[in-house]
Amino acid sequence: MTAERNDAPERRDSEEGGGPAASPADPRAALPADERGLLEAFDRLRPQGTVGWNFDDAVRRLAEPAEAPGRPAGWSGLPADLWERGRSTKASERVLGDVVKIVAQDLSEYTDRAVEEERQLSADAVAELRQTVLDALRFLAARVERLESSVDPLGMQAGELVLPTFDGSAWVDAAAGWTAARADLPSLMGELGDHALLSALAGGGALVEGVDPRGTVVWAADAAFEVGSGRIDIAFAEVVDHLRSLPDASRGCVVLVGCIDRGDLARKVDLVDEARRVVAPGGTLVLLVTDQAAWDASLDPVVRDLLPGRPLHPETWQAVLAHRGVAGPRWLRPPSGSVHAVVAEVGR
Amino acid sequence: MSGIHLFVPMLHVRDAVGEHTRALHDLLVADGVECRIYTETPDPDTVDETRPYLDYEKDAVPGDVLVYQMATRSGMAGWLADRPEPVVVNYHSITPPEYFAPWNNWIARHQVGATQELRRLAPTAVLGIGVSEFDARELRDGGCAEVVVIPVANVRVPPVEPDAAAVAARRGSQEDGPRWLSVGRLAPNKAHQDTIAALFVARATTSPGARLTIVGSPSEPTYARALQRYAAELGIAGAVEFVSRISDAELAARYVTADVLVMLSEHEGFGVPLVEAMSYGLPVVAYAAGAVPEVVGDAGVVLEAKGPRRVADEVGALLADPERRQALVTAGRARPAALGLDRAGSDLVTALQGVADRASAASADPVPGAPVRPGAPLSH
Repeated sequence: MTAERNDAPERRDSEEGGGPAASPADPRAALPADERGLLEAFDRLRPQGTVGWNFDDAVRRLAEPAEAPGRPAGWSGLPADLWERGRSTKASERVLGDVVKIVAQDLSEYTDRAVEEERQLSADAVAELRQTVLDALRFLAARVERLESSVDPLGMQAGELVLPTFDGSAWVDAAAGWTAARADLPSLMGELGDHALLSALAGGGALVEGVDPRGTVVWAADAAFEVGSGRIDIAFAEVVDHLRSLPDASRGCVVLVGCIDRGDLARKVDLVDEARRVVAPGGTLVLLVTDQAAWDASLDPVVRDLLPGRPLHPETWQAVLAHRGVAGPRWLRPPSGSVHAVVAEVGR
Repeated sequence: MSGIHLFVPMLHVRDAVGEHTRALHDLLVADGVECRIYTETPDPDTVDETRPYLDYEKDAVPGDVLVYQMATRSGMAGWLADRPEPVVVNYHSITPPEYFAPWNNWIARHQVGATQELRRLAPTAVLGIGVSEFDARELRDGGCAEVVVIPVANVRVPPVEPDAAAVAARRGSQEDGPRWLSVGRLAPNKAHQDTIAALFVARATTSPGARLTIVGSPSEPTYARALQRYAAELGIAGAVEFVSRISDAELAARYVTADVLVMLSEHEGFGVPLVEAMSYGLPVVAYAAGAVPEVVGDAGVVLEAKGPRRVADEVGALLADPERRQALVTAGRARPAALGLDRAGSDLVTALQGVADRASAASADPVPGAPVRPGAPLSH
């Protein structure tokens, strides 16, 4: 029984903001944007291109067996106390100076010895040398891992922690006004928050694109809105990645929620830099920031301690935005609830 | 005494090629044929059953036939191509390298090497045996002049009895909702992520209680980890169970307690889990890749496209239609016999005996100066 049914997709791709067009040869090309996004979320987990992948690939290249059989040459391998023999106190100097020097010296001594013994270097002997380099690389990788773990010792992702639910309802009335100045351009809401705010942004008349990296949230929004109607589009992506994919000055308004509260300072600055870049002159950049006291009170102490970041105070955001070249950001206290707004009009 | 000897890069247990090789060995020995298994790399689990392939050089007897179980790259291939004995290539499909490239470039390059070895070895083989018509085409494309299709020898007909305790435990669990099952190594060509995505859609739309069990060893660890991460990111980690290294009886218990086998693999030389599922009366929803359409035939739902919503809809529709489900179950139970799986072992032995008879005749009456190995394909 071959199911040959060629159903029309239940949801159409919107012409604007539906994500990058797939190539004609791509079997996913016929899928609606939400399904493509779902599958592409897995593609992002591929290791290719990462430092780890490149390292593993290098290791495997070295480990490929020699073509011809031969006798082992008796290499004893790297000293077990290699790291301890390093003298420098700075990690980078220790790795690049002491350790590599010791590896090079040992290999050189081994080669000299082999020549002295008039031993022809067999394929297996070369394989031994390769194995030695492999050991060295493994050793270095272990060091890098240790350095990485000192930055994030638990290796936990923010997504694994239960965070407060964002409530932007206090800003629903103001939202249409944020998009009004450049209603000729689409607007973007980075992380979806509640649907009321997204609807309110769309009330300004421009297309609004909602972006969120959480599959369940995207799916719920997709079901709640008439995606492809020309008013609201949903993208399944990390907000900062999605912003990076957009051209300069291509959005009339960018509203960031949720993502702006989490993460360390570097991530936060990265987000506002990208948002600033895509807002067109005359457009508006809005950061909806959770009140610090409310944030702390709403969190389980374990989560609060383990999170890599917490919301910045609105005054801090004003300072950060000013530092990044956004003139005159205003702090608006919430008429109700615990979400502040920091609003900046981007200069023409 | 001359014999029919089997060559396989590594002999693994609970592996399609490994189990096929062991089953073929047992059939040949039971038929009174001298048969040894030679490997390039010993597997600790089977090292007592094998010998290093270079040892064959001192074991060789005129009239021997060498059968190479080909699925991956191995130094054996070039060595066999240069041997004077007649070589049979029992081909189990080479996974195209592009599936592995983003995950494990070493394996991808390994697979590139395997395709090159096929092109070198196939033209020299006296016989190619594909386990499916799909594989047979690849053998012919590789230059093999005489090719026959004989399915794998290790599918048990009738199937293994399910583990009763495991069946009772699963049936007694409080889980609510349909159980999807997917069986296959955690390797990129198996596209388990598509099944997870389809489950996500099913749970978000029509079947909130649906659950998925994936049975398969993590043959590519980075891919296996990504699958688990993907399920977690979609918020359905609790609904996706990863199982590996279980016995045949435990696997049988999974088949009989599941509601549907969902197999969205993108490259299958045969697809043993498909026939296993059908043997146990489990309906199949599969993607039409490789040998899947010829193996499933009309006894399952074969999809030409596998978008998550489409798969979820097809599974939902099948499970909601008891009459259609029963029709597929009935057709599925008859499928292994229709594929000739019950006689695959004897067919294989007969085909190899035919080659051996020719080799014996050639070695008994050699043309002076001519190699023992027949210079022309059998069909000539």
